[in-house]
Amino acid sequence: MILHILNRAPGTSLVYRDALAGMGPEDRLLLIEDGVLGALPAQVRHFTPVLDRLFALREDLAARGLEGHCDATVQVVDVDGFVELTEEADKTVSWF
Amino acid sequence: MRYALLVQGAPYSQQASHSALRFARAVVARGHTLSSVFFYHDGVYNAARLAAPPQDEPHLPDAWCELHAQHGTMLLVCIASALRRGLLDEREAARHGKSGHSLEPPFELTGLGQLIDLGQACDRLVTFSP
Repeated sequence: MILHILNRAPGTSLVYRDALAGMGPEDRLLLIEDGVLGALPAQVRHFTPVLDRLFALREDLAARGLEGHCDATVQVVDVDGFVELTEEADKTVSWF
Repeated sequence: MRYALLVQGAPYSQQASHSALRFARAVVARGHTLSSVFFYHDGVYNAARLAAPPQDEPHLPDAWCELHAQHGTMLLVCIASALRRGLLDEREAARHGKSGHSLEPPFELTGLGQLIDLGQACDRLVTFSP
């Protein structure tokens, strides 16, 4: 299983499409930095194929005043959880 | 586990350096070894010896040095990225006839081969880009 890390919002960059295309059936996707905007209910539809494997970084949500505003399907993790996700994955791929 | 980080974003311009530092601290807090941080592209500015950010802002170069002092993390700087951005250690400054140096230990100028080695030797290599 690969952990994919995305730091761009779907509203400003289409790189999320490449990330989704590059993901295997077990892979997970973590949204960080401006990528966390994709976790909002208005944007989460872009990640429909991986909704059961979609994570967002709590600190980056909080920094943008968005904590508590994520779509219910998104699993929110803090930086400790970020490290844990990298432990569980065989490797990581960053999309930017 | 042995971790290494690749930092490619400029400090104070993009979030990448801050994200990487936060992740680095969490890695060691969870009991892992953070072998190295490799600074590449504009990420090399993290090694600027003369960086003097306002006192109420995070001092990224100092924070990396602290990580080195406390956990032995190697701070590797791509020499090709660094030289063309004016980041030279004493040896390179002398070699290029410059009167001062802008990079000093614990930051080390090194080649891309080191990055390849990190990818092979470490259990996880995590990239933070702009």
